[in-house]
Amino acid sequence: MTKPFVFVVEDDPKLREIMSITLEADFELETCADGNTALERLRNIAPEIVILDLNLPGVSGKDLLTYVRAQDRLAKTRVILTTADDRQAETLNNDADIVLLKPVSPMQLRELTLRLGSMQ
Amino acid sequence: MSYHFTPNMIPLALAALISGALGLYTWQHRRAIGAIPFVVMMLLVFEWEISYILHLAGNDFATKLFWDKVMFFGVVATPLAWLTFALEYTGRKTWLNARRLVMLSIIPVTTLLIIRTNESHQLFWTQSTLSSEGGFSLLNNINGSWFWVHAWYSYILIMVGLVLVVRALLRWPAQYRGQMIWVLLATLTPFIANILTVFHIIPILIDLTPFAFTVTGIGMAFALFRYRLLDIAPIARDIVIDGMKDGMIILDAERRIVDVNRTAQEMIALTGEQQPIGKQLADILSGWPGLIDRYRNLMEAEDEISLNVGEAPRWYALTLSTLLDENKLVIGRVLIIRDITDRKQAERQLQESEARFRQIVENASDLIYRVDRLGRITYANPSVVRVLGYDDEKEILGRDYLNFVLPELRHKVKRVYERQLLRKTPTTYYEVPVMAAAGHEIWLGQNVQLIYEGDQIEGFQAVARDITAIKQAHDALRIARDQALEASLAKTRLLSKVSHELRSPLGGIVGYAELLQRDAFGQLNEKQYKATSEIIESADYLANMVNELLDEAQLRSSNATLQEKMFSPRQLVQLATSGMDILAQKKGLSFSSSIDPRLPEAILGDDRRLRQIIINLLGNAIKFTKEGSVSLEVTCPEDDCWAIQVTDTGIGISKEAQSYIFEPFRQLQSAVTYDNRGVGLGLSITKQLVELMNGKIVVESETGRGSTFTVLLPLRTTG
Repeated sequence: MTKPFVFVVEDDPKLREIMSITLEADFELETCADGNTALERLRNIAPEIVILDLNLPGVSGKDLLTYVRAQDRLAKTRVILTTADDRQAETLNNDADIVLLKPVSPMQLRELTLRLGSMQ
Repeated sequence: MSYHFTPNMIPLALAALISGALGLYTWQHRRAIGAIPFVVMMLLVFEWEISYILHLAGNDFATKLFWDKVMFFGVVATPLAWLTFALEYTGRKTWLNARRLVMLSIIPVTTLLIIRTNESHQLFWTQSTLSSEGGFSLLNNINGSWFWVHAWYSYILIMVGLVLVVRALLRWPAQYRGQMIWVLLATLTPFIANILTVFHIIPILIDLTPFAFTVTGIGMAFALFRYRLLDIAPIARDIVIDGMKDGMIILDAERRIVDVNRTAQEMIALTGEQQPIGKQLADILSGWPGLIDRYRNLMEAEDEISLNVGEAPRWYALTLSTLLDENKLVIGRVLIIRDITDRKQAERQLQESEARFRQIVENASDLIYRVDRLGRITYANPSVVRVLGYDDEKEILGRDYLNFVLPELRHKVKRVYERQLLRKTPTTYYEVPVMAAAGHEIWLGQNVQLIYEGDQIEGFQAVARDITAIKQAHDALRIARDQALEASLAKTRLLSKVSHELRSPLGGIVGYAELLQRDAFGQLNEKQYKATSEIIESADYLANMVNELLDEAQLRSSNATLQEKMFSPRQLVQLATSGMDILAQKKGLSFSSSIDPRLPEAILGDDRRLRQIIINLLGNAIKFTKEGSVSLEVTCPEDDCWAIQVTDTGIGISKEAQSYIFEPFRQLQSAVTYDNRGVGLGLSITKQLVELMNGKIVVESETGRGSTFTVLLPLRTTG
């Protein structure tokens, strides 16, 4: 059984590293550090789960979420949104599958991602 | 009986006819004063004359004697009728009551009885013989003693009537003088005629008295119909003058009192003088020395004087008029005295009351002023002068009120009061900035009333207060409030920024620590494992604190408004519990959640805040429970409300503590252990949110047996 494909977009290299270590055992993982690159990548890949930081240089996490939701090709893609701003988190609550307020516990993230992955 | 009529009886017959006609004529005007006795008198005279004619015409002694006796009915009764007329005519009708009339009638009735029975006693006539003289056949009577009783009684009655009438006549004013002469002539004639006849002063054979009474009748009738003798006027005049409330004193050229009316008499009596007629006015009115001298050369004068009689001084208004004859010579003066004590008293009371109100207005700290229709200030109390910084009210009076208003606002103020005038608004309140004498601005809060004179609006009356200090305080307060709001907003923004900035590095701390603990970077020994646990716990604590501080700050800055929309309660439970079950699992607790199937698919509310409430309650439950379970139940106990219930098997909360756990920064002292430190804001925020939603939160707990928090909320399914 192939592992689910998770695409992580996070500009903070430390958090990116934590997420990689947390998820690499259970998922096929690709990480990206800025919005523009992420958008480029999303045109070509179809991940099962996207973990998006809301606050990104270049194209914002919100725009990326909108893009994902607009693509038929990515209809099955689940989005976990991470943010440090709880009010922004609220507004996007209905678009994202899960919104996580930072700081994100790696263990919790892994559990949730696994749960989303198993629902495929 | 046989009669022989001769032409020389014609004058008597004529007189009889005239008397009868006068009687009949006056009967038609019988409502006039004295008319009825006058009619009676004329009929008696008529009877007298007719009987006298028949007496003269009688051929034999017996016939003559018969008519003589009949004639005496008229002779005896006429003087009484005359007196009755005089009494009634001079206004003494009430004096003549039935008893007095009977008394007066005793002698005449006796006389008639004596005449009737004369033959047996000869008291009236001692001898009656028939004689023929001058063409008349006469009965020659020699008068007996009772005759003289009758004669004198008759004279007395006629005299009294005469005096009464003459006295009344003398009081009549000059314009009635013609009438007076006629009446005098009429009343005197029968008296003179009778005396002439009875005492045989002139040698006339027949009795002139009945002729004379006819003359009286003619005279009275002439006076009556020419001068309207029986008119109400003279009597009315007496009544009016005597009945006047004003005193009237008439003085002759020598300033002697010749007449006073009743009121004047009473006033003079107050000074102790009872009989003022004929006395010098100056003697009577010694209380008013020089009064008449003062007006000696004035034709008309008016004055007010006070007179100390009795206890309180009385006030009188005097009007002095001069009476002139046709040659413009002074013949006398009329002094009218009016008692004006009551008016004076009323005036004084009015003055006192006016003075009282004036004092209040003048001493008021409020500014009170009046403005006429044209906007000119007609009155300003001392406070106006003082507050505006002027020295004298003269600098204010007469000026347009708009002159005092700040120039840039004159137009607006003018409009306000023009509108009040047009709409006839009784009272308005308006705040007007005015300019003091020194040029600085003063704010007046003024109540302005319309002043009416009848239906006409005369102007405005304003009661104003210097509200400059209040205005300044308001301004200061507004600025302070704005600053505070701004500061509060800034604080919220800062908190938001700080929490955001804190959260990101916390992510690093929590993330690496957890990875370390899970041996992502190699196997940890026991001490290292414990150290990473410490790091994780501290980071969690910090993260919680950031969240709660931010919530509290938002609620405090009253930015907390509900954003209500339709949401699914099932989804709410799902979202709120996601993550919570993991936390519970981490502590080895069992976690369950349930939702009442009766709850609608979609309800109205702020789902974000609701989720916050659930997370707070679940977070607390997990934090304070070491072993056992934590459960969430969403129920629908009634049609119009729903409930969120969080139950744990934790340490529980004592009754005492239950009273304050919803206050900010209050935590159970005993609950604060190494394992469950918290900021202490969670329940306070939860309660504020619940109340914002018009719900309530209750706790049921027992120490050591766990707690149940229940949030009850109104159930609404439509906006």
